Amino acid sequence: MSSVLDVDGRKLKLNDEGYLVKPKRWSEDVARELARTAEGLAELTAEHWAVIHFIREHFVAHKRAPLIRALCDETQLSLKRIYQLFPSGPAKGACKIAGLPRPDGCV
Amino acid sequence: MNTKPNPCLNLKTPPEVELIYLDNAATSYPKPPDVYESMDLVYRTAGVNPGRSGFDLCRVAGNVIDETRELLTTLFGGTDPDRLVFSHNATDALNLALFGLIGRGDHVVTTQLEHNSVIRPLWTLQEDEGVDVDWIPFGKGGSVDPEAIIERLRSETKAVVMNHASNVLGTVQDVGAVGKVCRERGIHLVVDVSQTAGKIPVRMDDLGADVVCFTGHKSLMGPMGTGGMYVRDGVEIGKTRAGGTGVRSAERRHLDEYPYRLEFGTHNLVGIAGLSAGVQWVNRIGAEAIHAHEMALWQELRDGLDTIDGVTVYGHGSGSEDRIAVLSFNVVGFEAADVGTMLDVDSGIACRTGLHCAPLVHEALGTDKLHGSVRLSLGPYNTPEQIEQTIEAVREIAELGASRGASRSS
Repeated sequence: MSSVLDVDGRKLKLNDEGYLVKPKRWSEDVARELARTAEGLAELTAEHWAVIHFIREHFVAHKRAPLIRALCDETQLSLKRIYQLFPSGPAKGACKIAGLPRPDGCV
Repeated sequence: MNTKPNPCLNLKTPPEVELIYLDNAATSYPKPPDVYESMDLVYRTAGVNPGRSGFDLCRVAGNVIDETRELLTTLFGGTDPDRLVFSHNATDALNLALFGLIGRGDHVVTTQLEHNSVIRPLWTLQEDEGVDVDWIPFGKGGSVDPEAIIERLRSETKAVVMNHASNVLGTVQDVGAVGKVCRERGIHLVVDVSQTAGKIPVRMDDLGADVVCFTGHKSLMGPMGTGGMYVRDGVEIGKTRAGGTGVRSAERRHLDEYPYRLEFGTHNLVGIAGLSAGVQWVNRIGAEAIHAHEMALWQELRDGLDTIDGVTVYGHGSGSEDRIAVLSFNVVGFEAADVGTMLDVDSGIACRTGLHCAPLVHEALGTDKLHGSVRLSLGPYNTPEQIEQTIEAVREIAELGASRGASRSS
């Protein structure tokens, strides 16, 4: 079921899996709120932001999520560390917080 | 210390293939060198429209198609190469067969082990044409009881549609027992042999099949974009498309005779050339030897995963006689996609995660709620060392999953 994310009075629609319906409406404040509500992250550290910004910038430039290997290389974080930072993982956790649409897959 | 399986083929993997590729049920990779070389050679030296024009080179290209028909007809125990029809892939062949055989008022029996290549055409027929479809469940071991299918057959049953082996669980179905009854009662049996052709024998009469639909790019070792079906003599599949055949161009209606009846437009010559090389390679190595190699590795893999806490293997069979080398599992603490990502990025292991285009299997297992499972599927180029590395990689992930679970519950 779709829902609405309230960020300082702005109402943003989320799809039934909690991804932003309109990725263009993303901002860092939106990321903080998505992190809090979707991933249970009360605070975003510099490591979190490094991941989020790389994913976001790649998405803006290429209209798709980066390869996971590229994410690890660019941020100098191991995949295990990324799973510690984002419990739902890079695709369902970090990409969601970075405002990307739901990734396609065989599910 | 593990002992190397005796039937190991010891094939040399090309240096450009750096990952441990365990997604052979999606497509086999790498292909034998002959496949790449044949495709390149045929396209460079005879890349003309096969059989369409009168010049000699076009007949050479046409011969590539005809000889591959003969090769595949022999493989499937057929009698007439003209009844070996090429299509884009197995899904395409199944669409042609199902929409051409089944219509309003018919009854069909199928299973819950099917791929969407069968589910979606039958669902469409059920919803749009009112076709009555029985979806037979599978048992705990991952097999459908043939009697459960036979019990559902009625006087108005037009067809039984089933796969030869599940692409999720790897269980080989007792198609022959169903086919025997279908032949006695004049019911069409359509078999999806995507996962078995090239691994275990697929013979029309042994299966009791009227139609077998195959893909070229899996265990037949050909390229993507190839596939087709063999249609038994006397079985007439209705035409659901029409177009160019390259012969009898004055006819306004699409031709009735096989193979033209079910072929439309220019063939995928380069793909069929590769498929021919793939089938010849399988014949040379021996499907039985390839299957024995893969199953020896599968046993090692299954035994290894069984020792890991937090790993659940699905459709857990006990022997090698009734399955192909496909294994599905999940790890506590992670969704399947996460396990796949970690196998890929941390260990260089390629696998398939999710529902594998077979949603009914996952609904029956309850794994749909976990977003599917991780599937490892083995091929002729895999080695015992790769299997050992895979077991260790899954073990590390399971340990991480256990620690996440512990930290979350503490």
